[in-house]
Amino acid sequence: MRRRPGIAGLQNAAAARDQYRLIGENVAKVRTDLMNQQLATFRSQLEEFARKHKNDIRKNPTFRSQFHEMCAKVGVDPLASNKGFWAELLGIGDFYYELGVQIVDICLVTRTHNGGLINLQELCSLLCQRRKTARESVSEDDCLRAINKLKVLGSGFEVISVGKKKLVRSVPTELNKDHNEILELAQAHGYVLVEEVEKRFSWSSGRAIDALETLLEEGLAMIDDGHRDGKRRYWFPCVSSISSATGSEGLKI
Amino acid sequence: MQRLGDFRLPHFFNYPPYFTLQPVRETREKQVQLWKELILDYCRSQKIFIIGLEEEFPLFSNPVIERSLNHEARGVFLSALVSEGRAEWMDKSHKKCLILWLRIQDWADHIIKFVKDNGLEDSVVTVEDIRSGFESRGTELAGIDRGVLMRALRLLEQKGKAAIFKGSSSDDEGVKFSV
Repeated sequence: MRRRPGIAGLQNAAAARDQYRLIGENVAKVRTDLMNQQLATFRSQLEEFARKHKNDIRKNPTFRSQFHEMCAKVGVDPLASNKGFWAELLGIGDFYYELGVQIVDICLVTRTHNGGLINLQELCSLLCQRRKTARESVSEDDCLRAINKLKVLGSGFEVISVGKKKLVRSVPTELNKDHNEILELAQAHGYVLVEEVEKRFSWSSGRAIDALETLLEEGLAMIDDGHRDGKRRYWFPCVSSISSATGSEGLKI
Repeated sequence: MQRLGDFRLPHFFNYPPYFTLQPVRETREKQVQLWKELILDYCRSQKIFIIGLEEEFPLFSNPVIERSLNHEARGVFLSALVSEGRAEWMDKSHKKCLILWLRIQDWADHIIKFVKDNGLEDSVVTVEDIRSGFESRGTELAGIDRGVLMRALRLLEQKGKAAIFKGSSSDDEGVKFSV
């Protein structure tokens, strides 16, 4: 269209712009409606699914974790509110709060022994022992979720990964990279030797001893001078639970 | 779980660092606490009254993990019991330790109960009978250390609940209870 000068031309152009905007808005609205509709459908499907498999979700830890994964993918958090539909339907809000309380309890009881750092596996098995009477079994995934909820309290509960293992920290200790590496090394036998640390990471002896001393001070390590080779061992209760530490270490090194 | 006879050993007994005195205060406190409980529980279950610091004692070493407590550690754990009134050094050089898994007062209470259960009020019993007689069989009093028993009896005497009679030898000392 040839552009014409004058008032009429300007008015035409403005009217055209309005038209375009209107159409654009309409399209957007239709799309949003469609999306909303789809989401509503999906939500009702998910609810239907949850209702149908309520018992499985409650009782079967694997199923529960898969359900959580599915919810996470579509941005639904069944734990977000205890009052919400999900909690009412499944009662899983309470379930995780209960777990959370028990986890705090276990961490406190074992703190004197492990310095506030506990192996997730051990925590989970202690949790299962404690809940023997409860019918539902608990998986590591459930523990992680419950701990995640505890973060809200700001009490410094945190899950850290050291090597292949996950450790749950219940005291606000700052562990640096050196400490983490030592903990990882200790997973092999439950203890480390100074020379072993130096050799493995090519550290100066000062660096190794310094890191080990800090771990001692924090109550995360214990010394053992009783081996017949006379070398001091640094044991880490958080990587080897006492119950599983037996005398087989005498054969190694 | 490892056992000593019919005694169930706690898990920490298999964890090597518990056999080395820990340098960090909090860890050491926990360690001492665990050992104190273990020593008292073990002595009670086995009716052991005297521990010789330089003698073999089943708790002082764990062959399974090849660890044993050194002299200093033994001294620290027993001293901790002494400071709580749950043990007493029997000599100045601290080589022998009397373990009181029951305090003298508690022993006295047990004796009173024994007297009442067996209707021995106002009758004379020999000290030996209390330790090894038919009536005491299966009770806490069976096999009680003579020294501990005498102290409990003397405590009762002070309270006017018992009168001790000297016999011709220490074997035939007698007690009359007036509960």
